[in-house]
Amino acid sequence: MSRNKKLVILLSTVLAVIVISLIFIWMKFGQKLQSYECTNYAMGTYIQQTVYGGKRVEAATAAAKSVGALEDLISWRIDDSDIANLNKAAGTDWIKLDSKTIAILQKSLDVAKKSDGALDITILPISSMWDFGGTNQRVPSADEIKKYIQYVNYNNLRIDQASSTASLKFHYMAVDLGAVGKGAACDEAIAAYKSAGADCGIIAVGGSVGVYGTKSDKSPWHIAVRDPDSKDDQTVAMGTIDLTSGFISTSGSYEKTFTENGVIYHHLLNPKTGYPENNGLVSTTVVCDNGALSDALSTACFILGKEKGEALLKEYNAGGIFIDKNNKVYVTENLKNTFKIAKERYTLAE
Amino acid sequence: MFKKQDIFLIIPFLLIAAALLIWFGSKPNSGIAVVEKNGAELYRFDLSQQTSAQEIDVGGSYHVKLLLEPGAISFEHSDCRDQICVRTGKLTKPGQAAVCLPAKISIKIVGKNKDFDGYTG
Repeated sequence: MSRNKKLVILLSTVLAVIVISLIFIWMKFGQKLQSYECTNYAMGTYIQQTVYGGKRVEAATAAAKSVGALEDLISWRIDDSDIANLNKAAGTDWIKLDSKTIAILQKSLDVAKKSDGALDITILPISSMWDFGGTNQRVPSADEIKKYIQYVNYNNLRIDQASSTASLKFHYMAVDLGAVGKGAACDEAIAAYKSAGADCGIIAVGGSVGVYGTKSDKSPWHIAVRDPDSKDDQTVAMGTIDLTSGFISTSGSYEKTFTENGVIYHHLLNPKTGYPENNGLVSTTVVCDNGALSDALSTACFILGKEKGEALLKEYNAGGIFIDKNNKVYVTENLKNTFKIAKERYTLAE
Repeated sequence: MFKKQDIFLIIPFLLIAAALLIWFGSKPNSGIAVVEKNGAELYRFDLSQQTSAQEIDVGGSYHVKLLLEPGAISFEHSDCRDQICVRTGKLTKPGQAAVCLPAKISIKIVGKNKDFDGYTG
């Protein structure tokens, strides 16, 4: 064989090897890029998932199932749920609860203590009268608020972790995990992704988002922070935040509202007054390494306001974004590099 | 001139070209509108293929009607109390979604290049 021929065959073989390797890499790599999207309804809201990897379908299905199971445990509206039973037993005996419920109650109490009651999950006697999002939304009378506000006190919710039991000290007391549940659902879903072996994924339960793993192009998860002013279009962003891991939750006064006699009332009630909190904030967003905590903290921070809220977040090593009525945005130091404003109307406060 | 050995050179390049074509050809930027009821997919429309406006009657207890147009989809009617779905307006870009919670019907636009991975708030 002439030298030329040998060269040609050699080069062609090299080229063929390259092509075959590319096809092989693409087949393997391509699987990672394959995403599975699904939506379902639970906890009174729209749950969206996008999961990647060979096990994406199993992971998403397992996650949806675990969220449903959690709702059956912690929703006060579901007969025979742990919380419904806890509320029924108020003023009587301690009752046994699932360890998941105890863990969520424990976290909620911790935030209640550290926020001096800005978050108080024993708020149901008051919140049930307002009935935000229900069929009987109304402004309770001052007398009604006065009567039932005495039953709102997280100090009277006792938990014994060792025996997995809890008790509400007085009759008429009741727990509502609405401020924590969606974040807790994200915790369940991420755990499901992990055990099912998904490559990476993201779940949104209402306004709480949880992310798992790293995307195949190594970029962080781009999360949009909804524009409080966008009225009914829920896909308008005022800013974006890049998350490499963790959970993010937002509490906003624009989420659940009703108008009575020309006044707009929103669902973020101050547990000490029984009325919607009016400190100038329109939304608070919290980033944390735990879903239930991110949800609890976003509510507590809304009630606390910017200064006390930032101090509270420091205790949990969490980050936060506070937006006020004047479109001023306050961002904690630890988020300054990953949060960007996307709408001119909003300005970053220094 | 063309020699027999040249085939060894041409075939790999043809394969690369074919692979690139398939790879880039299957990533359209325009959106696909997906209509779901109770989480299960009902319809899928390629918005870039729509040439005229069309009404989709999804029915159900809330008598939901959708409006499908070139490049956009929206809730045209629902019997629900809050009308959040209708007021959301037209969806045009991948990643956007609208929901009628009482009717459990959702519409969303999917595409390979999403603006965001998720929304909080």
